Amino acid sequence: MDKNMSLRKLTTLGLYTALSLAVYAIESAIPPLIPLPGIKLGLANIVTLILLQHYTARDAFLVLTARLLLSALLFGQALSLLYSLAGGLLSFAVMYPANRLLQKKLPFLTGALGGLFHNLGQLGTAWAITATAGIFAYLPYLAVSGILAGLFTGLCAHFAGRYMISRLK
Amino acid sequence: MQQRSYKIAVVFIITLLCLVLGLSMAAILRPASRGTDYIADIYQDGSLLASFPLDGSGDTRRFIVTGENGCFNEIEIRPRTIGIVSASCPDKLCVHQGFIGAPGLPVVCLPNRLVIQLREAEPGAVDAVAY
Repeated sequence: MDKNMSLRKLTTLGLYTALSLAVYAIESAIPPLIPLPGIKLGLANIVTLILLQHYTARDAFLVLTARLLLSALLFGQALSLLYSLAGGLLSFAVMYPANRLLQKKLPFLTGALGGLFHNLGQLGTAWAITATAGIFAYLPYLAVSGILAGLFTGLCAHFAGRYMISRLK
Repeated sequence: MQQRSYKIAVVFIITLLCLVLGLSMAAILRPASRGTDYIADIYQDGSLLASFPLDGSGDTRRFIVTGENGCFNEIEIRPRTIGIVSASCPDKLCVHQGFIGAPGLPVVCLPNRLVIQLREAEPGAVDAVAY
């Protein structure tokens, strides 16, 4: 890790990591509304979006990877790290350039793209694990749910970000 | 110039999202073909474990598929539908997916790497080309 990261920055990022873990834990306590694997709100993505919008991409990436690893360690079942890594990293790889092109505005568009590619990454992993092409029948369902959930988390990030930044930065 | 690339990005992303949404909704709402018999294929780890015709003949019966680490799924075959009735996985999503009677969404248990998929009984059916 960067030796020049200030104590203040390190503390702030640690706070965001704890926050995203708490959000993740709360979300996993909500019973799934639709009984399909992979359909969920992805509320923890709110934190990634806020960091992308108000901090740097490196900060967002650090918090995201810390959250992925810690959540698998704390709440994970076997294989869940593989799914969340594939989904999280692919969605970050899309959200980062999208956020730059959008000049850090309109986080719900970035979020919708992130949600879509998060689900695509997870479906790809599921395909690699089960080696059954038939699971691509889920593709339209996962695409729609990813975009809608991403729009929602993006709006959450838009409104929550303004309040949090004025107190944290 | 900055402003221009921003506008292009907004239009491009919105178009992409609408396109994906539209295609997905079209695929979801595509009417299922009726009046044909189906065959249920049960896959574990990607290899075909068993096939059962769902042509309305035969009684309702159950059997258990076991996997690594002692995990299991209990599958029930009815005359025209098939589903998972109990499982060792933590979230029981496969059980909640219920019984299927047509191709389209397979029943999947990701923790136990089990997939139940239906296909049309007649050889040479062209349904799969639609994807």
